[in-house]
Amino acid sequence: MPEYAIETEGLTKVFRNRWSGRELRAVDDISIRVPRGTTFGLLGPNGAGKTTFVKMLLSCAHPTSGRARVFGRDSQEAEARRPIGYLPENHRFPTYMTGWGMLDFYGALSGMDSASRRKRIPELLNLVGLDEGAHHLRLGKYSKGMLQRVGLAQALIHSPRLLVLDEPSDGVDPVGRKHIRDVLQALEQQGVTIFLNSHLLAEVELFCREVVIIQKGKMALAGTVEELTSGSGYKVEALAVPEQLATELKAKARGFTVVDGTAHLLFANREDANQAVDLLRANHCELEALARTKSTLEDVFMKTVATAVEGPAK
Amino acid sequence: MSPLLWNATLAIIKDTFREAFARRIFWGFFGCCTALLLFLLFIMRVDVVAGALATVSIFGNTLPSSNVQNLVQQTQSVIAGILYYAGMALAVFASAGLVSSVFEPGRIELLLSKPVSRAHLLLGRYAGNVLVVSANILYLVGGSWIIFGVKTGVWGLGFLLSSLCTIFIFSVLLAVIVLIGVLLDSSAVAIMVTFAIMIITPILAQKATLERLLSSEWSRDILRLLYYALPKIWEVRGIVQNLIMNKPVESWMPIWSTAIFGAVILAIGIWRFQKRTY
Repeated sequence: MPEYAIETEGLTKVFRNRWSGRELRAVDDISIRVPRGTTFGLLGPNGAGKTTFVKMLLSCAHPTSGRARVFGRDSQEAEARRPIGYLPENHRFPTYMTGWGMLDFYGALSGMDSASRRKRIPELLNLVGLDEGAHHLRLGKYSKGMLQRVGLAQALIHSPRLLVLDEPSDGVDPVGRKHIRDVLQALEQQGVTIFLNSHLLAEVELFCREVVIIQKGKMALAGTVEELTSGSGYKVEALAVPEQLATELKAKARGFTVVDGTAHLLFANREDANQAVDLLRANHCELEALARTKSTLEDVFMKTVATAVEGPAK
Repeated sequence: MSPLLWNATLAIIKDTFREAFARRIFWGFFGCCTALLLFLLFIMRVDVVAGALATVSIFGNTLPSSNVQNLVQQTQSVIAGILYYAGMALAVFASAGLVSSVFEPGRIELLLSKPVSRAHLLLGRYAGNVLVVSANILYLVGGSWIIFGVKTGVWGLGFLLSSLCTIFIFSVLLAVIVLIGVLLDSSAVAIMVTFAIMIITPILAQKATLERLLSSEWSRDILRLLYYALPKIWEVRGIVQNLIMNKPVESWMPIWSTAIFGAVILAIGIWRFQKRTY
């Protein structure tokens, strides 16, 4: 059994305009390895090349150069797609199908025989929380949330070893989102590799172990969520900070804001935070809060994207 | 073909039928065919005297029984002609949407993500589409053949065979629709190109006359090239008539040259589909 669910080497996709000859490097030399059984997040702003990357994994798009492997097989081979379950972002399931019919159709295309499909479909529809009435309702009558659920069931129909999900909780209410997260967590425990492409950074932070951030087709940052969010700081909140002291503290702090008379200060290290507390106490300011802070994935993402746009700070 | 691949093929064909039902395409055809069959059933009156066929009345014309076979064959020829042109035009119009719907963004990605080759997906859809139209053609031709047979005792197989020629020409035109669908994702352009072929080829069939009218050798060469490259819709219609009238078919060239055209166009369509990025 191969060690990695997904392996890409210098994966590149260039779109060329036939008439003007102009080129767009949608994905530029991306090499990643997704270990089996992990939860992996692919992040990036709109137009970063995430969807093109995913499409190359599924052979919807052919790489201009480089290669992608899924469980050791070249992604362009039809057999490489057998262990993959996929939920596209802007899916357009045929509206004339019922929930049951749609799962039956995609199950057959995934290589399942009819007996296995008949057994698996009700299990899945119940797993994603679609009641009996919805089973035989045409998809045209489904709400966005219901379509997303049946779409997830479709991706799971053949018990895939790799699940590629593009914005899985798009249009789903918070309760449904939690439900989907629970389903995915259960799958993770069963050893299914989950590759998540999502704009919801909090969701990715909560769910994924590893992430890659891509920007303008290039890999901007990669690592485990724990590593990437380990950058810490210290938050100090104080009341009635005199103007002179505020100016002095502003120079030392990484962040300084005043909201409703409360100064919110952010320091990069413990020494600076301690010095600030000494100064505030010496000026008889009352401390409201003192806490250690942790970067969120959103902080990391915003910083990475900003750096990629402006270039690295000198 | 492995059982799993066979399962997938059946699923694609079944899906094409389901979409044809949902778009009312199948039922539209079925309704038209049924109306025509009912019309035939009621316009044809047969009088039997002392156990033998005395007279037959079609469209109000009463004929002695000796002319019945000729009359039935002529009526069948008219039906086959209507089916061949008007039915074909309707089938092309309806099928273009069935082909292009597969290439819709959000649907094609999911189909391509399954462990089925692109060629298989396209051929499955193609076969499904041919079967949807074939079912209706066979229903109409088979139904009217039975009506004629029961009422007049004329059971010539030529009329049944003619339906296979009609299905064959439709499958060639469907290959054009598939190719345009793959290249341009446009059902409108696919319909226009297919109709253009249906209009141009009967003109090209008058090759001998046209050659005399053209002044330069190069223009005659272009005419010949177009004639031999494009399907022989007009000539195949002639074969259909000969089959119905029990006349010998002089040349099968229109059939095999049209088959080559269809196979080449379909192969190009599959090749482009395999190369395309979605």
